[in-house]
Amino acid sequence: MKKFLKQGALGLLVFIAVNAAIAAFYEYPVYKSVKNKTNRNYLKWNDIHQNKNTYDLIVIGTSRSYAAYNPILIDSLLNLESYNLGTSSQDIAETYYSLEEMFEYQNPKYIVLDLFFPAGDNAHEFYQIFSNSSFFNSTRRRFNLISDGYGSSGFLNYSIPIIKFKNYIKQDLAGLFSENKTLREEHTWKKGHLHDTLTVTKEKIAQFEPISNFENTDFDKERFNLYFNKINKLIESRNAKLICVRAPYPPSRLAINNNNDEGEYFKTYMDSTSIPFFDFNDFKSQNYIYKDQDFTDYHHTNYRGAKKATLQLIEALKQTGLQSKPNL
Amino acid sequence: MLFNSLEFFIFLPIVFVLYWFVCGKSLKLQNLLIVFASYVFYGWWDWRFLSLIIFSSFIDYGIGVLLSKENRVQKRKILLWTSICVNIGFLGFFKYYNFFVDSFVASFSFFGSEISANTLNIILPVGISFYTFQTLSYTIDVYKKRLEPTKDIISFFAFVSFFPQLVAGPIERATNLLPQFYKKREFQYANAVDGMRQVIWGLFKKVVIADNCAKYANIIFNNSDDYSGSTLLLGAFLFAFQIYGDFSGYSDIAIGISRFFGFDLKQNFAFPYFSRDIAEFWRRWHMSLSTWFRDYIYIPLGGSRGSLNKKIRNVFVIFLVSGFWHGANWTFVIWGGLNALYFLPLLLTNKNRVNTDIVAQNKLLPSIREVYQMLVTFIITLIAWVFFRANTVSHALDYLHDLFSLSLFSKPEILPLTVLGLVAIFITIEWIGRHGKYALERIDNIKKPLRWSFYIVLIMLTFLFTGEEQAFIYFQF
Repeated sequence: MKKFLKQGALGLLVFIAVNAAIAAFYEYPVYKSVKNKTNRNYLKWNDIHQNKNTYDLIVIGTSRSYAAYNPILIDSLLNLESYNLGTSSQDIAETYYSLEEMFEYQNPKYIVLDLFFPAGDNAHEFYQIFSNSSFFNSTRRRFNLISDGYGSSGFLNYSIPIIKFKNYIKQDLAGLFSENKTLREEHTWKKGHLHDTLTVTKEKIAQFEPISNFENTDFDKERFNLYFNKINKLIESRNAKLICVRAPYPPSRLAINNNNDEGEYFKTYMDSTSIPFFDFNDFKSQNYIYKDQDFTDYHHTNYRGAKKATLQLIEALKQTGLQSKPNL
Repeated sequence: MLFNSLEFFIFLPIVFVLYWFVCGKSLKLQNLLIVFASYVFYGWWDWRFLSLIIFSSFIDYGIGVLLSKENRVQKRKILLWTSICVNIGFLGFFKYYNFFVDSFVASFSFFGSEISANTLNIILPVGISFYTFQTLSYTIDVYKKRLEPTKDIISFFAFVSFFPQLVAGPIERATNLLPQFYKKREFQYANAVDGMRQVIWGLFKKVVIADNCAKYANIIFNNSDDYSGSTLLLGAFLFAFQIYGDFSGYSDIAIGISRFFGFDLKQNFAFPYFSRDIAEFWRRWHMSLSTWFRDYIYIPLGGSRGSLNKKIRNVFVIFLVSGFWHGANWTFVIWGGLNALYFLPLLLTNKNRVNTDIVAQNKLLPSIREVYQMLVTFIITLIAWVFFRANTVSHALDYLHDLFSLSLFSKPEILPLTVLGLVAIFITIEWIGRHGKYALERIDNIKKPLRWSFYIVLIMLTFLFTGEEQAFIYFQF
């Protein structure tokens, strides 16, 4: 028995050592970026925590939302203070807890939620979720997000680096055998919005795959419904107004699509509520014609696309009755 | 509680410590702990169904005791049939009630008369088919005087509910497992290490192979109308590895965990996809169920003896019952029937026991003939798996119709290279390890540093490529 336990302990030690190495490898750059004040999630939450009760409008959602909606343009045309709190791979439960945290420091009148199927699926990008929530000031909220949002798999992912970083490890391992290293052009962050000047290449366009649908996404309707209702109730309790949107996709990707599950589902879902919903793939499409060159990749707008999407958002906001600041 | 869940990773060490360090000196206490732990394990899923196991255990224990006191043939028969009726009654109600009602209504409407009958919203208790067969084997063996009935109620309850194999087998015979509860168990280092290895390998099969294959197999089967023949072939291929990884993975974990506690369970899978004919496949696939049907149905019916008609009947009976055991759906019955059709020519030409050794024994690679035989066996198995996986018979027929079309030679719309790479690694390891009871059994021959490096890589792969957590397929059976 002693020998077995000893071997077991040794195996455990090796496992811990490998995990510690992985944690160091992936966490150190994050630690450095926080220290240098270049970490985008840190900067976002710093803005929210430091500039108390400043923002009238908050945009929230996945990377598609922080790429598509430019708060500076919104502010200039609507005379408001807005902020883009979108984060990479943001999950619907994470959105709820991020809003809870935000409401503790801000008192916005409008919340714009960008909807995306993978935000409601069962394949969570835990590293991004935990990276975002690590900047919550409330430890209790962080714990709630892990336990209530993701249950035991949340705890496992939180505590075991090899699981938490598995997508990055796989990506890096694949990168060892790949010669394609994309060089990023200059990009900057403006009030939480990514101002990206990159344009998708023809090679990438040729590799486009259909937009998220029920076939290729494990969309969890029940879970989405649960957290969407929580989000709605939270926003209502803070006397704010929720507006839902869907960011545009490149036209070449829309063209290969054999179904529009995502768009149709959200439209039907929102029709059953009184919450306004605008799909920027068809909202006032005669005035806003997207080209593939308006995107950095298969679903993120670049600065050109973001301008169009933001103008669409402004029109949508006006349609819901939003007035510029003096009349708020 | 799933083997691949956090709850189980907490539960198992607690039971292990209590078993060896707290209850280690008393056999009775150890058995009692097994009963208690098994009920917690089972009740974690739905505590209400614990009453079924407890009731079934009481009935079979009681009947065993009564059988030991009874010598009159008629009375013994009544006791045996009481046990069969209670056990099969539960199974029939929970698993087959709605199926029979639906089929009854459908057959009437087929002949033009409409009748209505209500189906019930019945939850199928996890693992009911497994523990029912286990307790039945006890009563039948006692009735046939192949086994002394036990008077040790705790041992019997532990035998029925033994948590590693409670919900998805291997289906243990009382003659093998029950006596192990009477004997004092010693912790043996070699057994525990071997068990640990088998658990790691089983987890790899389940979470890496089965769950990753499941993701794509589900997409393809659920939308089979949209895909080309080549994609449908890929879907059937991935399902073949999903079900093998899932079920044999569960068996490996169950056998491995049992060894931590000093128990030896029977081998349930012996590299079935390396079979050279369908008879060999069935000697290597879900062996505990195949031998159960062989010993309790096929042989009592006459087996392969008697007239030609009897032989054919017996083969069909055993395969159809096996299909029906898997689920209350005509797809499973057809799956069983198809396997009977595959098997029959071998039996009738006396070629069903040609391939009883290990393929390419003591050789690195198989001969061209063996490759051909394995490929043919695998392909006909794939066709049968389509029925097993499809939602309805017409879905399976449409699937096969679309599969065997010209588009079979087109490029698949879905090509999960990473998953196929993992399957290739898996097949290679299984091939190298095919001489053992499981792929890693003989890894001890490799030097320690290399062996440990292999374990680390395997564990890392398991964590890195863990698919979305899926319940074990055989839980539903």
